[in-house]
Amino acid sequence: MSETNIIIAGVGGTGILTLSQIIANAAIKEGKNVVIGEIHGMSQRGGSVVSDVRIGDTAFGAIIPTGKGDILLGIEPIEAARNVYRIRKDAPVVLNTYEILPPIVSFGKQKYPEFNEIIKLISEFSKNIITINALELAEKAGSSAVMNIVILGAAMKRNIIPISYESVIETIKEYFPEKYRDMNIKAFKLGFEST
Amino acid sequence: MPKKSHILTQPPKTRVLALGNQAIARGAIEAGISVAAAYPGTPSSEISDTLAELSNVYNYYFEYSTNEKVALEVVTAAAVSGVRAITAMKHVGLNVAADAFMSAVYIGVNGGLVIVSADDPSAHSSQNEQDNRYYALISGAPMLEPSTPQEAKNMIIKAFDLSEELQEPILFRTTTRLNHSRGVIELGEIRPQNQPSFKRNPRRYIPVPAIARKRHAIVLEKLAEARKISEDTEFNKIIEYDENNDYGVITSGVSYNYVQDAMIWLNEKLDTLKLGMTNPLPEDKISRFLESHKKVLIVEELEPYLETQIKRIAKERGIKTEILGKFEGYLPRNLELSPDKVVVALARLLDKKAPIELEKINNTINKISKSIPVRPPVLCPGCPHRPVYHALKKVFGDDAVYPTDIGCYTLGIQDPLNIGDILLCMGSSLGTGAGFSITLKDKSVVSLIGDSTFFHAGLSGLVNAIYNRHKMILIVLDNHTTAMTGHQPNPGIKAKILPQSTKPVKIEDIAKAMGADYVKVVNAFAVRQITKALEEAKNVNGVSVIITRGACALVSAREKRKKGIPKIPFEIDYNKCTKCRVCIDEFGCPAIVWTDKPWIDPILCDGCGVCAQICPEYAIVRRR
Repeated sequence: MSETNIIIAGVGGTGILTLSQIIANAAIKEGKNVVIGEIHGMSQRGGSVVSDVRIGDTAFGAIIPTGKGDILLGIEPIEAARNVYRIRKDAPVVLNTYEILPPIVSFGKQKYPEFNEIIKLISEFSKNIITINALELAEKAGSSAVMNIVILGAAMKRNIIPISYESVIETIKEYFPEKYRDMNIKAFKLGFEST
Repeated sequence: MPKKSHILTQPPKTRVLALGNQAIARGAIEAGISVAAAYPGTPSSEISDTLAELSNVYNYYFEYSTNEKVALEVVTAAAVSGVRAITAMKHVGLNVAADAFMSAVYIGVNGGLVIVSADDPSAHSSQNEQDNRYYALISGAPMLEPSTPQEAKNMIIKAFDLSEELQEPILFRTTTRLNHSRGVIELGEIRPQNQPSFKRNPRRYIPVPAIARKRHAIVLEKLAEARKISEDTEFNKIIEYDENNDYGVITSGVSYNYVQDAMIWLNEKLDTLKLGMTNPLPEDKISRFLESHKKVLIVEELEPYLETQIKRIAKERGIKTEILGKFEGYLPRNLELSPDKVVVALARLLDKKAPIELEKINNTINKISKSIPVRPPVLCPGCPHRPVYHALKKVFGDDAVYPTDIGCYTLGIQDPLNIGDILLCMGSSLGTGAGFSITLKDKSVVSLIGDSTFFHAGLSGLVNAIYNRHKMILIVLDNHTTAMTGHQPNPGIKAKILPQSTKPVKIEDIAKAMGADYVKVVNAFAVRQITKALEEAKNVNGVSVIITRGACALVSAREKRKKGIPKIPFEIDYNKCTKCRVCIDEFGCPAIVWTDKPWIDPILCDGCGVCAQICPEYAIVRRR
């Protein structure tokens, strides 16, 4: 396999683009080719957001071909479910348990499924689901805002993303301003050690 | 690895991860630009953002112009006076600038001029999927189309050279998946700038009819010259393989990337003609490619722009090669392409079984969609537009028609606010409002426009409404920024990001000076104040302008974070809450969630406190 395809799915404003850039910069540090696909603008305002990160010499386009996702980072449960058909059979799905209810659910027009129903839906595509209470660990690290980094930690543990632990730590150090640095490193380590 | 554009200030030969738009901006800087001007628009915005951020570092002039037409005029004059200049806009921005663009091609330039059009197939952030390659055909401007961020950077430097050689502006056409993809680019040396000089020549620069006729002939001569360049340029290249010589692919832009992905997927290698200069087309090179293959598939996004011309070339030259594309149903004319769509088209060309079935994938997507709720974009928690819409619903409800405009506030159409009845383009709320005021006598007309859009294209519509005595209310939703495109300044506020000084213009001063019959500025977070102004405006027989002023929640949150001011969320006092659902059904803030009672998610809550104003039981209070 000469490429690794990472799908990051969640809700606009929860650090999806940040996560894809950290992974990509860590890969560049190791001299690897990277392509990221993302969408900015209107869809970001609390809507579904997905970012495709492709690492390797055979990664050309910014969209991962359907069925070729090697790992799915689900920053929000139903957003993971929305994208799960894009991964290989039984590719790992790192699934945050923290649910963000779309307003339409509050209006009573649609239902947010029970967590075990989401698991059931995802397991039609992958039996390899790693659930993680990222909120709890992020708050332990210092803020709910670093849930994304917790999930990156848990994803790195799967040995699918072809970058080293050290490169990620190094990239986090460079990426964030000093006052947020330690919190993000702590979040990453907590995520890594959690599963 | 410092953040944002500063990655672009590292020494030549440094390899950095850059957004396609950052690569375009860096390319322009390396080419030695002196002047840049733009109005932001997704997916082009980060080009102007990067150019704004770095103007101080590389000593060129950048301005946020009020709209794309003005920007194009600014850079055209700069290029006429001999320096290199660039503007970037979204596809529909070129509609606004089209009048100036047509003439710019006629009068031509001296310094290099590059006009970037960022098209948006799939309309991720737009009102249409128009294919701006046709602007090259209408105007006669030569056109380049890159496939990757690195190629975009290289190509834009060549675009300036080409512009100076031909003395014509160059249309540089991109699509969302180039603008908003990130890849590795290598930084290069920065060329010296040109010295400005202007020699009067009204017989060239003022296209009165007699001159225009002459200049049109010159445009056509230049196109013939550009044809030769198109034949020889490295950007139009044939990639040949030893196998499968009967089949070939002609492609351009990001579609080329999908062709490469699809060939790996199918384990096939097909000769490919990759077109980077797509106006004028290299007709000889295309003919040679066609003649050496039996079947050729044209892979391009949106309209059959290449396909139509290539079929014309084949017809003229009696080439019998089978040319396949949109007309034969291999690829669609709408939505963006994907490796999936291209792999299926390639497999069909080769008479092979495709590795996927598009219909099956669509069925899977539909099946998943049925079990989970949709999540369209919404107005953020703490958004200053929500209280205005809430008040509008209370005062006018269904008794008004609401022409809306382009910006975050368009999202008012979502539940439960449902404010917005018609939208055409930037500034259209004024003209459509005028139209409805003629036909819908029994309804109030309440037009909605943002501050940036008001400056962009609202002014002439407002003069029209006042002059023609239309009865309507204009709400200017003034959040002190151009929010949707990433918080660029607009003429209502100081442009702090730029080194030069700016002089803000007050919207209320404009409205008064134009002669509006009622002008009021209110606090966008004060529901009672807004309601009172609306009640007053309701009885005005003429044009009312209400400016609802309140900072964008994302901007104020960022400022609070910087200053270390904590965000204090609100919560429900369940002793008082009667579960009346007003906060849910009439306000609809995404931070207020209903399960069997309302609950405010402290992570999402912005602390704006408007929900506390609208709760009839005073059951919403600030957390302690």
